[in-house]
Amino acid sequence: MNESTLFLISFVLYIIAAVFYFAYMFSKKDSLAKTGYQIAFLGLFFHTFALVFRTIESGHAPFTNMYESLSFLAWSGICAYILIESKYKIKKAGPYLMLIVIGLMALASSPLMPSEAVPLMPALQSYWLVLHVSVTMFGEAFFAIAFITSIMYLIAHSREKKGTAKETSLSAAKLDSISYRCIAVGFPLFTLGGLVFGMVWAHEAWGRYWSWDPKEVWSFITWSVFALYLHTRVVAGWKGRRSAVIAIIGFLAALFTYFGVNYVLSGLHSYA
Amino acid sequence: MKSLINSLSSVKLAIFLLIIITSASILGTWIPQQRGPAEYAAKYGQIAKMLIRFQFTDLYHSLWYKAFLLLFALNTLVCTLTRISSKWKRAFNPSLERDKQRLLDLKIHENFEKKGTLDSVKTAAARALAEKRFRIKESSRENRVSLLGRKKVLGIFGSDIVHLGLLIILLGGIISGKSERQMLNITEGQTVAIPGADFQLRLDKFETDYYANGMVKDWRSHLTVLEAGQPQLTKIVEVNHPLSHQGYRFYQSSYGINWEDPLLEIKVKKKSDPAFSDTKALKIGQEKQLTDSDIKIKTIRFVPDFVLNENNVVATRSLQPNNPAVLLEGWQNEEKIFSGWVFAKYPEFEQMHTVKESDLTFRFIDIHAASYSGIQMSQDPGTNLIWIGCTFIMLGLFIAFYWPLSEIRIALEAKPEHIEITAGGLSPKYTEAFQATFNKIIATLRNSS
Repeated sequence: MNESTLFLISFVLYIIAAVFYFAYMFSKKDSLAKTGYQIAFLGLFFHTFALVFRTIESGHAPFTNMYESLSFLAWSGICAYILIESKYKIKKAGPYLMLIVIGLMALASSPLMPSEAVPLMPALQSYWLVLHVSVTMFGEAFFAIAFITSIMYLIAHSREKKGTAKETSLSAAKLDSISYRCIAVGFPLFTLGGLVFGMVWAHEAWGRYWSWDPKEVWSFITWSVFALYLHTRVVAGWKGRRSAVIAIIGFLAALFTYFGVNYVLSGLHSYA
Repeated sequence: MKSLINSLSSVKLAIFLLIIITSASILGTWIPQQRGPAEYAAKYGQIAKMLIRFQFTDLYHSLWYKAFLLLFALNTLVCTLTRISSKWKRAFNPSLERDKQRLLDLKIHENFEKKGTLDSVKTAAARALAEKRFRIKESSRENRVSLLGRKKVLGIFGSDIVHLGLLIILLGGIISGKSERQMLNITEGQTVAIPGADFQLRLDKFETDYYANGMVKDWRSHLTVLEAGQPQLTKIVEVNHPLSHQGYRFYQSSYGINWEDPLLEIKVKKKSDPAFSDTKALKIGQEKQLTDSDIKIKTIRFVPDFVLNENNVVATRSLQPNNPAVLLEGWQNEEKIFSGWVFAKYPEFEQMHTVKESDLTFRFIDIHAASYSGIQMSQDPGTNLIWIGCTFIMLGLFIAFYWPLSEIRIALEAKPEHIEITAGGLSPKYTEAFQATFNKIIATLRNSS
C-alpha cells in the first residue's frame, strides 16, 4: 500500500464520518455521533500511516509543500478535536470540524496543489522545519476548534435570546468556556511554534530573527488578535458575543497567515 | 503626573494600542515596503507622495510605528508595575481574616455546623486541606479561627512574566537597531578582513551539491578564521549552519561566479585540415602563438550573457553564464588579420571581420571561473535578549494557563452549642475541577470525628 492510497482511504473515512455526524445533527441520535467518531478515529489511523510513509519516501518531515502541509493540518485538526471531545464532550462540533477537515483534504488532493515529493532546498534542511511547522499547526488546529465553537456560540446565543433553544443543545455559556479553553491551549502552542521557533530558525538560516516579512507580520497579527481576546476577557471581563467575534477573527487571521500570504503577498516564506 | 500614570496603566489604552498596531501592521503587508519612488508613483499615482512622506512605504521602521510600539511597551510596563505590589502582597503576605459574608459571596462556598472544640475542628480542617496538598496559613482571634489553604501561588505571576518577556524582546529589538550586516562575496582562496573586527575570514573551498533532478542540494563554504594571520578555527558553513566568532555570525547566503578573471578555453581548427586541432587556454588580454603557425590569438573581452543593447553595444544581460561570448583577435607579424565574437553555445554564429584570409575557425569550448560564496555577515547585539525574552514569555504563558492558583478559605467561629464553619473557594481557571476538590475537602471535614 502506498502513501496516496492511504491518504485516499483516510479521506473516504473522514467523509463517511462526516455523513454520520450530519445524520446525528439532524436525528439527534447519540449512537450516530459515536459511530462517526469511531470512523474518524479509523481515518486518523490510516492518515497517520500516510504521513509516516510520506516522510519515509521523501526523507523529510511532511510539510514542505501545500499538499503535505494541508494534509498535516487536517491531521492536527482531527487530533485536537479528539482531545477536546474526550475532555468536554462536544459532539455537536463534530459535523463542522469534519467539514473543515474534508475541505482541507479536498484542497490537498486538488490538482492545483503541487503534490509530488520534491527534495528539500538548502534553507529547509533543518530540524527546525519539524518543530516550527508542527507546533504552529497544532496551535492552529486548536484555533480552528475555537472558531467552530465560537460560531456555535453565536448561533446558540441568538437561539437562547429568542427562546428557541432546545433542551438538548449545548448551552451558550458552555460553548464560550470551551472556546476559551481551546485558545488557552492554542495560544501558547502558536506562540512557541509560530513566533519563538520561527525566530530561532530565521536566526539560524537567514541571520536575522525578524525581517518584517509578510508571513512574519501576519503571524504577529494573529498573535495580537488572540492576545486581544485574552486581555479583553481576563482583564476587561468581556465574554460571550464579543469574545466569540474576536476568536473568529483570530482564526481567519491564522488562516490568512497560512494561505493568503502565499498567494496574495510575496516574501521570504515563498516555499510554504 | 498621577493622571498620566493612570492613563498609562489602563487596559483600555492597551487594547486601543493593540488594535492600532495590528491595523498598521496589516497595512504594511499590503503596501509593498522599501521600494523606489517610481514604483509607488506608478502604483498609487497621486497619493504616492503622501505615502512616502508619512513613511507608509517603510512602515515598520517609521517613527510613528516605533512610537506606538514604545507607547505600548510603556503601557505594558506601567500596567504590570501598578498591579505587581498588590499581587506580591497577595502571594507572600496575604490577609488571613475574611468576614463570613465575603466568603458566602464567592461562587464556590459552603456553610455548616459541627460539634466539637474550636481546636479539634481546626485540626480536622487543616488536615482536610493538607490531604489535597494545600499549603496552610492560619490566624486566630478570640472565638474565631481563619484558615487559608493555597496551591500554585506563583500562578498569579504568569501574566507579569509574559509582560516582562515582551519588554525584554522590545529592548532586544531596539538594541538590534545597532546591528551590522554585510554581504561578503569571497572566492576560493581569498581572505577578507571583517570590517570593524580584528580578524579575517578565508574561503578555503566552496562546493555545491545537486540532487539528481538538478536542484541545488547544498552549498558548503569551508571557512577559516584568521587572527594576525594565524588560523584560529575552521568550519564548514552551510545554510542553517552558520559560523560564530567573537559575536559575529557568518551565514551561507548566496553564491555566484566571479567573472573578473576567467580562464577561457578555445579550440582552433583548420578548414582545410579536419584532423588539425589546437586548444588554447587564455586569460582575458592574454595572447598565445598557435602550434606550427606564425599566427597569435588574443582574447580581448569576455561577457557571460551576451546581448546587444539598444545602442548596438555589446553588454551582458546577467551574471549567469547563459550566453558566454569572447572577443578574439588574430595577429600575424604585428598585423591584426581578424577579429570577432565567438559564442560558446552558438558556434555557428561565429563571424570574423577578416582583414586577411585565413584558414582558421574557432570554438569557444569552456570557461573556468572561480565561483564565489556569498557570506552574510551579521553582528547583532540584541539577539541574546530576544532569546531571554522568548523564554520568559513561554514560561509565563505556561504558568498563566497551566499553573492556576487555587485558594480555599475556611473560617471557624465558636458558637455556644457548636462550631460554625464557613468555607469559600477561588480559582481563576478550571473551576469544575476546582469545585470537585472543594467538595471533597468539605466532605472530609464534615465526616471527620
